[in-house]
Amino acid sequence: MKKLTAVLMASAIAMTAAHAQGGTVTVVTSFSKDVTDPFKAAFEAANPGYALEVQNKNTNAGVQYLTETKANNQTDLFWASAPDAFHTLKANQLLASFVPSVEGLPEKVGSYDVNDPDGFFFGFAASGYGIMWNERYIKANELAAPAEWSDLKHPQYYDHVVMAAPSRSGTTHLTVETILQGEGWDAGWGTLKSVGGNFQQVMDRSFGVPDAVNSGQAGIGIVIDFFAFSAQASGFPVGFSYPSVTTVVPANIAIVANAPNHDGAEVFVNFLLSEPGQEVLLEPTIRRLPINPATYAKAPEGFPNPYEDARFQAMINFNGDLSSARSAVVDVLFDQLITFQLDNLKAATRAVHAAEAALVGKDNAEAGALIAEAHALIAAMPFDHEQAVSPEITDAFTGGENKTSRQSELEQAWATFAAENYAAAKAKAEAALALLS
Amino acid sequence: MTVKFKEPKMAQTRDGAAVAGARKIEITNVNVHYGELHVLKDINLEIQPGEFFAFLGPSGCGKTTLLRLIAGFNNASSGDVRVGGQDILAMPPWKRDVGMVFQSYALWPHLSVARNVAFGLEERKLPRDEVARRVKAALELVGMGHLADRRPSQLSGGQQQRVAVARTIAIEPKVLLLDEPLSNLDAKMRVQVRRELRDLQQRLNLTTIFVTHDQEEANAICDRIAVFGDGRIQQVGRPMDLYERPASLFVANFLGTANILDGELVTVDGKRLFKVTDTISVPVPDGVTISPGTRLVFRPQHASLEDAGGQGVRLPGRVSNIEFLGASVRYGVMVGTSEVLIDVPFQSGASVRTVGADVNVLLPSDCMLWLAE
Amino acid sequence: MTNLAIGRLRRFSATPGQMAVVLLIAAFLLAFLLVPAATVIYVAFTEKGTSNLTLVNFLDFFRNDLFVRSFWNSVYVSSLSVVWATLFALPLAVITTRFQFRGAMLIQTLGFLPLIMPPFVGAVAMQLLFGRNGSVNLLLDQHLGFKLPFMDGLNGVVFVQSLHYFPFILINVSNSLRQIDSAMEEAAQNLGSSGFRLFRRIIFPLAMPGYLAGASLVFVKVFDDLATPLLLNVKDMLAPQAYLRVTSIGLADPMGYVISTILIAVSIFAMWASVAVMRGREYSTVQRGGGGLARRKMKRGEAILAYGAVTLVLLLVLSPHIGLLLLSFATIWSFSPLPDGYTMANYGRVIGESSIYIKNTLIYASLAGLIDVVLGGAIAYLVLRTKIIGRAWLDWAAMSALAIPGVVLGIGYLRTYYGVTLPDGTPLATLSIMLVLALSVRRLPYALRACYAAMQQISVSLEEAAENLGANKRRTVRRIVLPLMMGGILAGFVTSFSTAAVELSATLMLIQSNSEAPIAYGLYMFMQSPAGRGPGAALGVIAVILVAVCTFASHYVIERSQKAMGARK
Repeated sequence: MKKLTAVLMASAIAMTAAHAQGGTVTVVTSFSKDVTDPFKAAFEAANPGYALEVQNKNTNAGVQYLTETKANNQTDLFWASAPDAFHTLKANQLLASFVPSVEGLPEKVGSYDVNDPDGFFFGFAASGYGIMWNERYIKANELAAPAEWSDLKHPQYYDHVVMAAPSRSGTTHLTVETILQGEGWDAGWGTLKSVGGNFQQVMDRSFGVPDAVNSGQAGIGIVIDFFAFSAQASGFPVGFSYPSVTTVVPANIAIVANAPNHDGAEVFVNFLLSEPGQEVLLEPTIRRLPINPATYAKAPEGFPNPYEDARFQAMINFNGDLSSARSAVVDVLFDQLITFQLDNLKAATRAVHAAEAALVGKDNAEAGALIAEAHALIAAMPFDHEQAVSPEITDAFTGGENKTSRQSELEQAWATFAAENYAAAKAKAEAALALLS
Repeated sequence: MTVKFKEPKMAQTRDGAAVAGARKIEITNVNVHYGELHVLKDINLEIQPGEFFAFLGPSGCGKTTLLRLIAGFNNASSGDVRVGGQDILAMPPWKRDVGMVFQSYALWPHLSVARNVAFGLEERKLPRDEVARRVKAALELVGMGHLADRRPSQLSGGQQQRVAVARTIAIEPKVLLLDEPLSNLDAKMRVQVRRELRDLQQRLNLTTIFVTHDQEEANAICDRIAVFGDGRIQQVGRPMDLYERPASLFVANFLGTANILDGELVTVDGKRLFKVTDTISVPVPDGVTISPGTRLVFRPQHASLEDAGGQGVRLPGRVSNIEFLGASVRYGVMVGTSEVLIDVPFQSGASVRTVGADVNVLLPSDCMLWLAE
Repeated sequence: MTNLAIGRLRRFSATPGQMAVVLLIAAFLLAFLLVPAATVIYVAFTEKGTSNLTLVNFLDFFRNDLFVRSFWNSVYVSSLSVVWATLFALPLAVITTRFQFRGAMLIQTLGFLPLIMPPFVGAVAMQLLFGRNGSVNLLLDQHLGFKLPFMDGLNGVVFVQSLHYFPFILINVSNSLRQIDSAMEEAAQNLGSSGFRLFRRIIFPLAMPGYLAGASLVFVKVFDDLATPLLLNVKDMLAPQAYLRVTSIGLADPMGYVISTILIAVSIFAMWASVAVMRGREYSTVQRGGGGLARRKMKRGEAILAYGAVTLVLLLVLSPHIGLLLLSFATIWSFSPLPDGYTMANYGRVIGESSIYIKNTLIYASLAGLIDVVLGGAIAYLVLRTKIIGRAWLDWAAMSALAIPGVVLGIGYLRTYYGVTLPDGTPLATLSIMLVLALSVRRLPYALRACYAAMQQISVSLEEAAENLGANKRRTVRRIVLPLMMGGILAGFVTSFSTAAVELSATLMLIQSNSEAPIAYGLYMFMQSPAGRGPGAALGVIAVILVAVCTFASHYVIERSQKAMGARK
């Protein structure tokens, strides 16, 4: 027993000793080693005396960590992709404001503000959303490479597509929100559910999607661009395209309030935004779009430039306030209508595909009407875009006083709505098929 | 209950060792409950210094419970247990100094024979050479000196038993408790080992309690026996006394073979008769009280077949079975509806009756016992 | 009646030492399990947005189709996994303990490996082999024109879970079998029983404490495991639902904790049931220094059958590791039965940084394992050998750790100990000793079950003999109980150690810097990017080898001590 205590004490002391050095900048990040290692090396080389201490946590865990530890904060920086995480941290007063010394940075990338207007967080890289596929997979299954979101509705992609749940991935949440804002609430959900009918799986983390496509478990994935670029750089047989309706959003960094090494944190942010820092983004394993336009001069051939590429200029306006107001509603809707109803949705979609295939070349108004009804049933939403931001619903998620029901009750109601509609749609489609054969 | 120590009795008087170091065990008004179950009821017992004492009874009668109570592994709900005058119930097992040999021997498989035996001495913090000396002595005493380095699993049952005994006596306990120590041995070993145990006990002059369900074992080596039944002590006494004068049907039945005849008391012409069947009845001696449930009990070797001659009661019957036992012939005789057993000494050349022969059973009146439950 | 009262009083009394141990353990569990978990889980009993206490959330649980479906799915998967795990484990356990079998020790070690599949990489390797477009299915499709859905849906979960957790049964049953006195087998043979009937009627019932300890662990682990269902994208089971809610909807949502509470309740019920089955039965099989079952020589036919069965089971259960090994040497492996090419570069990339991970892992996991066997042994002793009030509560409390999600425990630690600081201002929660404590609490149930089964098999008379010869309780424990339990204790240590070595969920919350990180954390970092897959796999292989070597070493020690104790040879 005595021995044990001694060992415990010794190891405890040994572990804390590393903390005491000056000049250590502690960063909590969701970025992988492939991203952080080159930055750590470049930063420490450019700023002798400083050491970058990386704590890797996924975005949600990182936010929770900062929340739980605020009373005695030991973290200097928070560094992640999803802008909504920064909004949350800012709203909870966990960030410190700062004015970077780097000159020549743009205000906007695509239609998205690069920096927080109040100076609490800063974009350092841009990312666009797109479609990634496995070349071997689509060749073996004789599929065409998709180019647009709407292509993914096509029956040939049935059971071949994967996507992360927006509730599980901040970046995917933005993709969904982009589609909803670009096409409108009802049409947008119609698209999502049509594509959803072709899903093989809904992944529970962002990286699950490129991982499944890389290994060939799934053929096509809806992903953030750098996953595809870095996979290509690693040699995986994957392709990628930006669809015409998409957005590009910055990945961010912020200084944590009451940072133990606030000065060091500022040095790192300035380094990150400066040209030497931005150039690290061009590394094959990172491949994110630099926020500093000057850096593109050093980019390799074929590297997309959001400041010049026409596709990026055409991108839609993105309403960040609307996105934050309904983010919980959108996440839960997606899970209840698609993720947890995937079997029902796929069954209905398959039946519709079969009926549509049978209808080709025939003139049968009754069957056509049934198929249209089936489509409408699949696309139907339990409420419209105004209700989505009404306090009756949003307060159910926050526990506010205007709620009329608890979150679990809403979920049950929406799930029932979806399950019944999908079953009805399947019945209509099967009736149509019966008429046609 | 007061039987004097060293009353003449064969085995015991043989070497008449000194009594000086031996302890007395006094058990007063002991009751033990397991939850609602009343396992031991008002036990009173005094075991004399140096006595080899048996707890005898069928399984479940409470004899092992009382032994474990003395060792400290059961708790009494009331009563007193004294060893050498000292109240031990409040002491933990390891302070009691009562050596116990377990039925399963409980040898520790991870320790060698010598280390098993050394255990108790080491716990007493004896100097190392003293431990070695006493381990050697204890093992020599049981004839196991040459196997000191073996593991228990490498020993035969008899050898394990000896090690268990050596382990216990090595600590020179105040008293020795033996929990069915022979039950795991074969018949031949049993006879040999019980003799060894007796000799050892005599040599060490240790007050010893021996728990067994085997009356032959108890009779063969013990000075006195307490017969247990249903949580009570049914009778205490020397083996011969118990055999000849059992206090109850239970004891008569448990110790040796007993013939038991059922019947009822009738009075004919002012004479009391014990009516076994309509045609067979036995005169009841004066001074014997017969209550409902009282039976007539006698031992097979105390009765004889009529032609042997002699005084006593005659019971008519028919030979139903014959067993030759070597020194004697055991006849089964149907008396009324019950079969009684009669042992007749075998003499070479003597005629043997045949099954079906009509005989009279001759019952000397001083061998008849009138016992109730 | 007063007699009765005194009797009860005496029986409930305990030595001061035992009382102190009870209090110490209770304090430990309170401080490092119950309080931290409670700071998070109390949300289940409050109305959202307020702090009003309510049970309405539990009503919501049973009104929600998804949750109810998830509940029954979890029950289905756990029960079937126990059945399959039993089928995998029993042949290995029996063949290696009852027969003279070359490489028995190697098999015991290899059979243990599935438990130490590191997170993420194991999943990737499994998909590459058995997934819809994994090696097996690609080959099947190519040559026979069909695919098998190994990894689809609930049955896929059963497949992977039974492969993953069957070592719990293997370890515990093997340990029980080793303890059985050969006389018991001989007696049955003597009475005309042999072969499978002998096994079914005598050997297996005698190994029951070990089997039930293992089977209940499998049930509970499968019931509470979220990694495998998530890997297979099965979301309508309870543990994934709890995890998804806690980590995506957030800490203020009660339903995640309602599900956690129900997970805890079911786990405790399963453990209670396995103990209740054993209650009142005598299974002490170490009585007369029996050296375990005699190892029989196999006939030629039996040997072929046995080697065949062992090879098949091992191939199956080790397939993730084979996949992992391939992956670690692979250049690119995508939609093909085998990698495109092979390279050492992945190892080159991790070799430099892995030494710090290895060192940390060894320190954390062995400290955690040590704490676990000390606590587990103490609790098992208190429960089985004393009548101290509240001993059963210690048992249940320790077992409830099985069902508390790692992330909940991690957050609970931060909440409870981040505010507490050392004199120099360092928060208590940032010390790596907290990580060790969290790991030991998470793995305590494994060690506890192993110690419990080991102690159940020691005949009480062996301890009574020691007390009778003058050893007090403490000395008896040290000189008799501990040596006799050593096999079980080591088994418990190995299980705790090796599973703690690959634990991630609590680690991710508590780890403060790369220099303090264990291997699992390093793996996590690599497995977040396409380029990290190969190096991640290489690190995974290193982790597996590391833990396997330690496991092999302890099996070696167990074997040796068993031999020393028994074997009539």
